Amino acid sequence: MLDTLTLVETPEGISLHLRSAGLMPRAAAWAIDFAIRLGIVWATGVAIALLGKTGMAIYLLVLFVVFWGYPVLFEVLRDGQTLGKRALNLRVVADSGAPVGWVASITRNLMRTVDMLPFCYGFGAVASLVDPRSRRLGDMVAGTLVVHAEPRRAKGPPALPAAPVQPPVVLAPAERAAVVAFAERAPLLTNERQQELAALLQPLTGTYGNDAVQRLLGMASAILGRRS
Amino acid sequence: MKQESFQALHGAEWDALERWLDVRLQPRARDRLLDASGVMADIEFPAAYRRVCQQLALAERRAYSTLLIERLRELVHRGHLVLYRPRPPAARAILEFFGATFPRLVRRHWRSMAVAAALFFVPLFALIGTLQLRPELAHAVLGPEQLAEVEEMYDPAEHEDRLGRDEQTDLMMFGFYVWNNVSIGFRTFASGLLVGIGPVVTLATNGMFIGTVAGHLTAIGYGGPFWRFVATHSAPELLAIAIAGGAGLQLGMAVLAPGRRSRGRALVEAGRDGAKLALGVFGMLVLAAFIEAFWSSKAALPDLVRFPVAALLWIGILAWLALGGRNLPPDSDPER
Repeated sequence: MLDTLTLVETPEGISLHLRSAGLMPRAAAWAIDFAIRLGIVWATGVAIALLGKTGMAIYLLVLFVVFWGYPVLFEVLRDGQTLGKRALNLRVVADSGAPVGWVASITRNLMRTVDMLPFCYGFGAVASLVDPRSRRLGDMVAGTLVVHAEPRRAKGPPALPAAPVQPPVVLAPAERAAVVAFAERAPLLTNERQQELAALLQPLTGTYGNDAVQRLLGMASAILGRRS
Repeated sequence: MKQESFQALHGAEWDALERWLDVRLQPRARDRLLDASGVMADIEFPAAYRRVCQQLALAERRAYSTLLIERLRELVHRGHLVLYRPRPPAARAILEFFGATFPRLVRRHWRSMAVAAALFFVPLFALIGTLQLRPELAHAVLGPEQLAEVEEMYDPAEHEDRLGRDEQTDLMMFGFYVWNNVSIGFRTFASGLLVGIGPVVTLATNGMFIGTVAGHLTAIGYGGPFWRFVATHSAPELLAIAIAGGAGLQLGMAVLAPGRRSRGRALVEAGRDGAKLALGVFGMLVLAAFIEAFWSSKAALPDLVRFPVAALLWIGILAWLALGGRNLPPDSDPER
């Protein structure tokens, strides 16, 4: 399957739909994080240059925290998102769809050491291109996934302008769903495209052109249970 | 039930849950406290979440519209992330980890640990012994510049008040030891994923290096400052490196010989234990860095204090690893 969707069944008996993020958005998120970390280290370096050798100690401890601690702390305490991942709307989750825990996050970030080999995240890049869920080696060891966080959607179906029209024949559930999906997507399509799609259903609507579109929207209204 | 009536029936509930999630997921704790009131009480969240799960299942079964199902899915996933969020580390959990979980993990993987310790300590002690009989062999392991450097570091004629370093302050050396040693420990563990080659190489070369330095300095009569410097902090430091290597080997074995598990499953299990071991190694190395920076380097410390403390630390750490948490029932190991 060419799809990046993973279905995970939860204890509540429903499926979570996880959409794995590929190499490029992850690399971009990493680059943003890298710039931020470099900025922190650089700013600390400038600030403590005045403090001499005590400052040097602070500098080394900051270096340690930024290098090893930054991703772990963000991933666990900020719902699986470092600043770079937040910018690209990515999120680290356990492969069960649950939030990433301390142990898993520590594992996947320690394993960066191996993903970075031989240079410039070579192993990690190859692994995430080969793996169907684009996991790098660290994700495989930790049992985690990087997924696209859900985009904020419009609340519910849009209002349909057409008056309800009962379909002339009884439609199967999948057919009804297709008609409703057409109605929901209609605002995103040009009028010509709407007519083109509606023309495919001439046996159902009996007409072409704008009338066909209006009839389909009307049927969608009826299927959704609107009353005129 | 038609979709419209379904939405009319439950819409308000979804809106409330959505608003609660928006508020609870705000980054700053203060905002969460201020805004959560008036939306929905926290205690009602699990029940509301389960109701939405059930409504999602119904909506999918009844083939309601994609937009509605998508909205419910998003709501459920966000709720799932909040409901199963990991707990913040509590002081008690940290205590339990170092008191019981970590030593028990070391013992559970005692085979890897034994192999790692052998890879590290055998070359170390073998070289110390050999160099007493054949001192010239030191030049076969280390180049002349490196030997000159360690000789200069531990020259008994210099450094009356400071052992093992030049003019740097204690605090700066603490920072350096934390950064350097913990990074070495973490890398030793992680490189085990390369079928175990990483830890084998790191352990053996470090064992040889330390053995050569110790043997050489003892042979040329600089042993005094050297042993006085390393005696105490070597206990947590060397043992931590051996444990990190053992955790790495166990990771390598999960790749090489997963046994009756799938390779992926074996890796996840080895990784989970490995991360906990790495956390313990981190604790031990921070302790070692602290001792090395603030205690080991004090030349004024009388040997009558220094060496008994060092012996106590070695015995104490070995006893902790051998006995820690042994009274707990075997299944009380928290899995997360």
